[in-house]
Amino acid sequence: MAKCFALIGWSLPVIESMQKTGRPFVVVSFSDFEPYANENDIPFVSYQLDEWSDTSNSIDLYEKLKAFDADVAVPLYEETVEWAGALNSIYRGDPRVLNRAFLFRNKAMMKRKALIGGLRVGLFEEVYNKEGVKAFMKRLNQANLQLDGEEDSWVHIKPFASAGTVGHRLLRSMDEIDEKCEDSDFPCLAESHLSGREFSCEAFINKGKIRFLNITEYVKLGYSNFIPEGKYLESKRDLIHKEVQKMVDIFGIEYGMVHPEWFLTENDELNFGETACRIPGGHILELCSKSYEFDALAAFVICHDPNITEEELDEIFPEKDFRPKNYHGNVMIYPHKRQFSKLEIPESLNNEPYFVEHTLIAPYEGQKLSADRDGFGNHFGTINFKGEDPDRMTELLKHYEEEEFYV
Amino acid sequence: MGLTIDKVFNNFDQSFQEFIDSGPLTKKGKATKLASHIDILSLTRSGLAFLYSKSVELDRGGFFKDTSWSDPDKLVPYLVKGTLNYGHPSSSFETLSELRMLRIAKGEDSYEGISAKDAQKFLEEVIVHNLEFALREPSEETRLRMPDRELKKAYNLFGFIMSEIDLNGVYEKLVEEVRLICEQRPIRTQKARELISLVKRRFDTSGEAKKDKMIRVFINALYTPSRGVRENENKESYLEFLGSADETTLASEAHEMGELMNATGLVSGYHALLLRHILKVNPNLVPICLDLNDRGIAEWEKYHELVSSLILETASWDNCQCIYGLARMLGKNLFSRRAVRVGLENLRRIKINSQVEKRILKSLTEPDADITALQYLIGGTIKVLGQPLGIGQGHNPTCQSARGISMWSQHSPAKLIDMIITVSTQNNLIMRFENQNLVSNNLVKGLLDQLDYNLDVVSVVLVPHLDKIYNEMMRISAGRLEDPHKWVNPAMYGHWIQVDFASCYDYMSNSIMDFPGYQRIFFASFHPDFNGNRHLVYPNPVGIFITSNKGDMIGFHAVSLLRVEKSPSGEMRAYFLNPNNEGRQDWGQGILPSVHGKGEKQGESSLPFHQFAARVYAFHYSSLDVKNRLNEVPVEEIEKVEKLARGSWGKSYTWNQQTKLW
Repeated sequence: MAKCFALIGWSLPVIESMQKTGRPFVVVSFSDFEPYANENDIPFVSYQLDEWSDTSNSIDLYEKLKAFDADVAVPLYEETVEWAGALNSIYRGDPRVLNRAFLFRNKAMMKRKALIGGLRVGLFEEVYNKEGVKAFMKRLNQANLQLDGEEDSWVHIKPFASAGTVGHRLLRSMDEIDEKCEDSDFPCLAESHLSGREFSCEAFINKGKIRFLNITEYVKLGYSNFIPEGKYLESKRDLIHKEVQKMVDIFGIEYGMVHPEWFLTENDELNFGETACRIPGGHILELCSKSYEFDALAAFVICHDPNITEEELDEIFPEKDFRPKNYHGNVMIYPHKRQFSKLEIPESLNNEPYFVEHTLIAPYEGQKLSADRDGFGNHFGTINFKGEDPDRMTELLKHYEEEEFYV
Repeated sequence: MGLTIDKVFNNFDQSFQEFIDSGPLTKKGKATKLASHIDILSLTRSGLAFLYSKSVELDRGGFFKDTSWSDPDKLVPYLVKGTLNYGHPSSSFETLSELRMLRIAKGEDSYEGISAKDAQKFLEEVIVHNLEFALREPSEETRLRMPDRELKKAYNLFGFIMSEIDLNGVYEKLVEEVRLICEQRPIRTQKARELISLVKRRFDTSGEAKKDKMIRVFINALYTPSRGVRENENKESYLEFLGSADETTLASEAHEMGELMNATGLVSGYHALLLRHILKVNPNLVPICLDLNDRGIAEWEKYHELVSSLILETASWDNCQCIYGLARMLGKNLFSRRAVRVGLENLRRIKINSQVEKRILKSLTEPDADITALQYLIGGTIKVLGQPLGIGQGHNPTCQSARGISMWSQHSPAKLIDMIITVSTQNNLIMRFENQNLVSNNLVKGLLDQLDYNLDVVSVVLVPHLDKIYNEMMRISAGRLEDPHKWVNPAMYGHWIQVDFASCYDYMSNSIMDFPGYQRIFFASFHPDFNGNRHLVYPNPVGIFITSNKGDMIGFHAVSLLRVEKSPSGEMRAYFLNPNNEGRQDWGQGILPSVHGKGEKQGESSLPFHQFAARVYAFHYSSLDVKNRLNEVPVEEIEKVEKLARGSWGKSYTWNQQTKLW
């Protein structure tokens, strides 16, 4: 069993889950959190995680964590993946652990690795300017045997190292490249559009094997999802399990959790989108905990431990053949208007049998959204649903995603 | 429904368990989720009762920990409205905080630093500061700001508190409230009646203090308006009493009721019984029974046939309030106008359209079974004609329509009756705007989504159509780079409206332009010291900025400037009609419209002239009449107004110093 987990990044729910497990841990984060940590008896090492220098580096952090006897590092956010990778490569005496962390942080490198290993990926390329994107689209058009007058092939560009949808742009024509791309987008990854039904999974890995696989059904990417997956994806569970294990093998992932996004085609082929190895957004682990009746946050941390026994592992995960009784879903509410002053909760929600609770808050008067939103921006609250029918769940999430809550 | 309710309770219990189980780190997040259940529960009476039963556990479980509500002894009654206004989750926390206070007040729980008496006093003050919720009569500001759901929560909360606590401390304030509401002589008297009934039910009013004596007048006016009623207190026994009463007794009954009606503006059901009886056995007593002035008596003598028919057709137990309207109509010699008489005769004979009939019946709370919609409509027409300043817009955003009805009632009563007849029979209305006929039934949308039926009968009939036509006129005139009201007001209200129009807001530059120039026109048009001592003849439809009690811009509103005159104390004041049912509001910067005691006629609001000027953004005037007077307006007056304007709504706009050609 791990002597002490070093949690890289600040997350109250994770800290509380760890407190409940009674396992030793220490939190590494910015000095801003130190007073709160001290006040609440949370073991804490203050560190300048956004700086890499003579005084701020993994060896230095490793020394500081010695006092806590830390022997496993766990990344909680996209930006702390390299820090955890560097520490773990020291703890495990394996420099490749750090390189693997880089894999998660460079989407071009990630795709290349996937391609070599035999996963289905689209055409991709690192691009350095708009001309690069245009050349990429042109080659893609050629490959797709475009005739004169036909529409251009869709191209996505995304930064090498950002979480989720941040900085992601879809370009549907040559003109859109000029319209939508900014100089500050480059360099980045350009890739062809992957077709298929998009979903994500969360695979908890220990000793290179999937110990627990959660599949999340996306109703609308970035807005709503539910767990467990609906009937169709459930029927493909074995296929998905196999493909995820294949990805884990190719990447050589031994411990932790991966959160890959896939596109399932009509021919039961899985296109690999990308993967992360930190806690997914959209309150996914919260839903996962509720449906599968276990503490997914604690499990996320604990499966990073190379020294854990099989019995201990079995204890933290649901039974192998456990099938949830209810679907848990949520929809994140974003104002549709640029300016709004009231929160209006529709009456229908009170009487909706699937409705559980929400975290919506009223805006301050005349609140405006800033024009420069990253990704989907911050949502104003989440509505949680629970029920037995995945189709009804899909319907509800779609409905409330479109409902105007902020007027 | 039962099933859903159970589910709401179960969901709460589950969320509450999660809240209790969570550690201190995530408690705040769980409290937010828990608040969403409180939000739903506080929408119903049973939900509130359930929350009340849970409030100890919630509190002990740390629901208020690290929030503004953590210490009950540090709470401020005055701030409750703000948090309720703010919406969820604040309003949900606030609701629970009041329930906790209620528990303390009832001695079911104790806290250090706050006694049961303190808690009681706190709740009393909360009620007094929030009468709009307690009485379900939201102010203009609240109506604009609060979503319906939040209003419903607030109503429910106050209903609950008021049924649970001793309300004596609120008494005095309520008496004053009753007095000032009645002083404004509203046509729709339901709010006053509810308040009076509340005071009667919940307070001991038998004392000899001034407030006791005053409220007894109002209570008597509604419940025991005469000696005969006091001795024969219900409908049947009073009718019996009337049957055997001699002339002297009837005269004294008539006298008592007539005076009470005139003193309060309220009519009791007994008054209708008496009036009908007198009409049959001793019509000479009618002028006493209506407490008529000399003109009224002359009018009655001349037109008693028509008036008698109207009384017999309309005055009933539930429809009694129209008796006051009738008295006022007689006092103003309206029956001497042939057009009015003919109009009323016509109205008596119409067949009401079934849709209109539905609307009328929907607006009545306890209609008399034997009184038809037409009889209510005639009664409503009499009320509007008798009390043109008593019209209100209810909870509807239709100040323009209310303003119109009031204006026609004063200056073109026959036209108004005609319009009532057309709409009542056709459920349609045609008005002309710039060479096209606007047919309300062909128009889709007004400002109004759903009519609030808390309206007088005439408004219920007319407003849906007036609103659509007004809105269509506004739509047609939009995009002309000037305020559409410039064209809409004269077309909508009629030829009484001056055709020139000034607005301080400049569409082209999106700014407040040449404010001093604009104000000079206002002063030169209306202020008797600068307009050659002329008085306003017709109401002037004026657009005003509505500001909060802190002076912040909230929105726009339509009022009518009625007259500008010196008050009894010699102050130059603007007297105006505010159709939003409540002339008393706090507009910030010490600008507090008064409704009584500063020379107001019943139903008027008033402000010192410069304060009123500081809120006006648009008005009609005659350029020919003001052109030689503009330079006579002193700079100091204008500066005073500009300072008030810039310090309030003006903060929401860009100001442009450029001079404008008016």
